[in-house]
Amino acid sequence: MLLWIVLFALVTSPLGLLGRRTPRPLIGWGLAVLPLSLFVLLALQIPLIASGGRLDEAVPWVPAMGLELRFSLDGLGMLFALIITGIGTLIVGYAGAYMANDAGLGRFLVYMFLFMGAMLGVVLAGNILTMFVFWELTSITSYLLIGYKHDYPDARRGAQQSLLITGIGGLALLLGLLILAAAAQQVGVSVADSYRFDALIAAGEQIRQTALYAPAVALIFLGCFTKSAQFPFHFWLPGAMQAPTPASAFLHSATMVKAGIYLLARLSPALGETLLWNGTLVAVGGFTFVFGSIVAFRQYDIKALLAYTTLSMLGGLVMMIGLGGKYGAEAVVTGILAHALYKSSLFMVAGIIDHEAGTRDLNKLGALRRYMPITMVVTAIALLSQMGIPILMGFVSKEWMLKAALESSLPAPWPLVALVALVIGAVGYIIAAWRLFRNAFLGEPSPTVQKHHLVDPKWSMLLSPAVPSALSLILPLGLLPAVSSLLSPAASAVYGAPFTFELYLYREVNTALLISLGVIAVGALFATQQQRLAAHKIIASIDGAVVFDKMIEGLLAFATGMTRMIQSGRLRTYLLYVVLVFMLFVGTPFVAYGLDDIRFVLDENLRFYEVVITALIPISVIATIAARSRLGAIIAIGVAGAMVALIFVLFSAPDLALTQLLIEVLSTVFLLFVFSVLPSRFASLSPAWVRWRDAVIATVFGVMMALLVLATSSNTDFPSLAPWFLANSLSEGKGANVVNVILVDFRGFDTLGEITVLFIAVLGIYGLLRFRRVKPDERASGRDAQTIMPGEDLNL
Amino acid sequence: MYESVILRTVARVMMPLLLLLSVFMLLRGHNLPGGGFIGGLLASAAIIMQIIAFGPTFARKVIRVGYLNMAAFGVFFGAIWGLPALFFNLPYMDAFWINDPIPGIGKIGTPVLFDLGVFFTVVGVTTRVALLLAEEPELFPMYVQAETEE
Repeated sequence: MLLWIVLFALVTSPLGLLGRRTPRPLIGWGLAVLPLSLFVLLALQIPLIASGGRLDEAVPWVPAMGLELRFSLDGLGMLFALIITGIGTLIVGYAGAYMANDAGLGRFLVYMFLFMGAMLGVVLAGNILTMFVFWELTSITSYLLIGYKHDYPDARRGAQQSLLITGIGGLALLLGLLILAAAAQQVGVSVADSYRFDALIAAGEQIRQTALYAPAVALIFLGCFTKSAQFPFHFWLPGAMQAPTPASAFLHSATMVKAGIYLLARLSPALGETLLWNGTLVAVGGFTFVFGSIVAFRQYDIKALLAYTTLSMLGGLVMMIGLGGKYGAEAVVTGILAHALYKSSLFMVAGIIDHEAGTRDLNKLGALRRYMPITMVVTAIALLSQMGIPILMGFVSKEWMLKAALESSLPAPWPLVALVALVIGAVGYIIAAWRLFRNAFLGEPSPTVQKHHLVDPKWSMLLSPAVPSALSLILPLGLLPAVSSLLSPAASAVYGAPFTFELYLYREVNTALLISLGVIAVGALFATQQQRLAAHKIIASIDGAVVFDKMIEGLLAFATGMTRMIQSGRLRTYLLYVVLVFMLFVGTPFVAYGLDDIRFVLDENLRFYEVVITALIPISVIATIAARSRLGAIIAIGVAGAMVALIFVLFSAPDLALTQLLIEVLSTVFLLFVFSVLPSRFASLSPAWVRWRDAVIATVFGVMMALLVLATSSNTDFPSLAPWFLANSLSEGKGANVVNVILVDFRGFDTLGEITVLFIAVLGIYGLLRFRRVKPDERASGRDAQTIMPGEDLNL
Repeated sequence: MYESVILRTVARVMMPLLLLLSVFMLLRGHNLPGGGFIGGLLASAAIIMQIIAFGPTFARKVIRVGYLNMAAFGVFFGAIWGLPALFFNLPYMDAFWINDPIPGIGKIGTPVLFDLGVFFTVVGVTTRVALLLAEEPELFPMYVQAETEE
C-alpha cells in the first residue's frame, strides 16, 4: 500500500495540468481530492500505528547488495505523511484560488504534486538509499517550485541557491549514508540489511563504537543542516521566498525543510547519545533558533518575517533532537505538529494580504481589521499559537520544549544553553508576531490600503488558512488525548523505544510553566517597543547570501579556468589529457598488480611473411610521423591499416579483416576530402621539448597498451570465454558466424551502446562543422547568455 | 567532384551492385563473414562513391534520404527489438526466432532485426559525415548550396 501511495502521488501529478482550465478555484479544490484521498488512506492506518504496529513493504532489486525499494510506516512516518497530505490538500485548493489569474497554474500544480510524492517517499522510505533518491527528488522539485516565476532574476537566484546548497548537502548525505552502512557492515549487519533504517537502529550501539561513526555523522549533519537551513546554511531559505505563496507555505510549514529534521529524528536512536551528536545539534540548533527569531522581527516583508521564524523553529527542533531523552522526543513531534499548523496558516494569510492589497510590506499596510475581519481572526489565532500563548497548540509545544531543556540528561552546559536559547527565541517570536499583527491589522490605513478596495477573500481561499488555524485552537482544547495517541508512536520512533505520553494544557504550577509565563510577560514588554527594536542597528543580520554569491563567483571563475585549460579546442591537447588520465587510472594499478600476468611465448611456427607484415606496421607508423608531405602521410597511415587487416586475414578473422579494410578505405576517402586544407608540406611548429614530451608519452602509452593486451591474453586466473561462445553460438544464437552472434546477440547490449555512441559522434561532428562560424560570445567570463550569475542583472 | 568520365561510368554501374552486395553482406552475416556493420560500411561506400564522382548535390538527388534521421532511426530500430523479451519476463534483448527459415533471406529473429538497426546507423553516420565534409564551404566552395536537409 505504501508503495502505491507514493506512486499514486507521483503518477497523478500530470493531472495538475487541469489547472489550465477554468474555473480555477473549482479545479483547485477538485484536484485537492488527490492528496485528501491519500490523507484518508493514511489516517485509516492510525489505529494500527497507535497500537504499536508498523507496515513494511519491499520491492527487491539487487538483494545481495541491499538495493531495494523499501517503504515502512511507523509513528514518525505517519505524523509526517499526515502533515504532508493534509496541508497539501489545503494548499492545492488554496493555489487554485490564489493563482486564479496565473496562466501557469497547471505547471505549478504538476510541480506541487511531484514534490508531494517525493516528500512522501522521503518520510515513508524504510531504506536509506530509497530515502536518498526521494530526498534528491525533493531538491529538484523544490527548485522548480522556487524558480516558478522564472522571468524574475530574484526567483532564479533563490532557486539556484536552494538547489546548489541542498545539492551539495545531498552529496555529503549520500557519502554519510554509505559510510553509515559500511559501519553497520563492520559490526556484523549483513550487506542486504545494512541499508535498512530498522537494522541500522538496532545496531546503533555498536555503530557508535566504530571509527566510521564520526565521519558518517559529520556528513549526515551536513546533509540535514543544508536541507533544514541550519546556520550557516540558512540563507537559501529566505531566498526561497521567491516561490509563489502556496509553494512557500508548503515547503516551509510542512515539508522540504522538515526533511532534514525528519532524518535527524529518524536516525537519532541509532546515532544519538554521544557528545558529538547531542552537542552539535544543541549548539547549531540553539544558535539558529535565536538567530532566526531575532532577525525575524527586523523584516518588513511578511513572507521574509515568516521565513526567518521558520528558520528559527527548525533550529528549535534540531535542538530538541539534540537534547534527546523522552522529553526531547516528545517536544520534537509536538513542535512539528504545532509549527506545521500555525505556519502554513500564516503563510497562506500572507498570500491573501498580498493578493488583496498588492503588497506584503509591513510599512505599507495597516488597519486591515476594518476590511478583512475574518482574515484577522484567522491570523490572530495562528499568531497566538506562534507566540505560545496558553490554550493554543503553540503553548503546549513550547511547554514541552522547556521541559525537554529542564529535564535533559546532557552534561552541564548544554541544558542551560538550550534553556537560554529557548527563552531568547520565544521572546523574539512574540515581538515578531506582534509586529506583524500590529502593522498589518491595526493602526491607521496607509495610502496603499486606501487605494485598494479591500474585502475578505472568498471562502475557497480563506478556508485553507482557517482550517489549520482553527486546529491550533481545537486540538489543545478538546482533542489532546487523540493527538497524544498519534504522537506517542512518533515520539517512540525518535526515542528508540516504545513509550506513551499525555499532552496536557495545565496540570500544575512548575518551572516550565513559570518560565513560559515569564517569557510572555517579557515578550509583551518588548513588543510594545517593536518599532524601536526593529530600527536598532545592533541586531544586524549576517547576510550569508553575500558570502554564498562570492563563493559561487569564485567557483565559476575556477570552472572557467579549468575549462579554458582542458577545452583548448586543439585535438592534440584533448588527446594528451585523455592519454594521461588513462595512464594514471589504468596504468598505475596495472603496474602495481598486473605485471605478473605478462608472459611472452614465441611461436615456433612463425612464418617469414608474418614477421614482415608485422614489422611493416611500426615502420609505417614511423613513416607517418616522419612524413614531410600530406600525401606521404596518408599513404603511410594507409599501409599501417592494410597490414593490420592482413594480419586478421592470416589469423583467420575474416569479419575483422573485412571491417578493417572497409574502415581503412573510408578513412582514406575522408582524409582525401580534407586534403586541400592539410598543409602541403608539414612544418615543425611545436618547440623541441614539446615534441620530446609527446614522444615519451606516446611511447609509454603504446608500450602500456601492448603490455595490457599481453597480460589479458596470458592471464590464467579466469577461464577463457571463447570455448563457450564457440559451443553455444549455433545452438543458442542460431548463427554459425560466432563473431556476429556475439555482436548482435550475446553482447548485443554492448553493440547497442556502440551505435548510440556512433550517433552521438555524428551529432558532435555536425555541430563542429556546421555551427562553428556563429559569432563567439564576447563576454570576458566566457559564459553564455543562459547562465545567470547570482545577483546579476539580466539586461545583458 | 572529379570530372572523370571513367570514374562516373564506373560509379554509375557500381552503385546498384555495391548496394546489393551490402544487403547481401548484411543478411549472410549471421552465418558467414558479414553483418550489419560491414554491410553498412559497404552501402555508405557506394553512396560516397556517388558523392565523389558527381558531387554531393547529385548524390542527394539520387538517394533522397535524411542521413541523420536514418542514423537516429537505426539506433531506435535496434533498441526496440530488445523490448519483446520484457513482455515475457526475460532480460532485455533476449532473442526470439521464427522457426522456419524464410527462402532467400534465412532465419529471421530479433538479433537479425537488431543487426538491421546497426546497418542503418552505420550507413547514416558514415554518409552524413562524408556529406558534411563534401559540403564544407572551405573545402569545396563550388558545392555551397542552400541546406535543406534535416
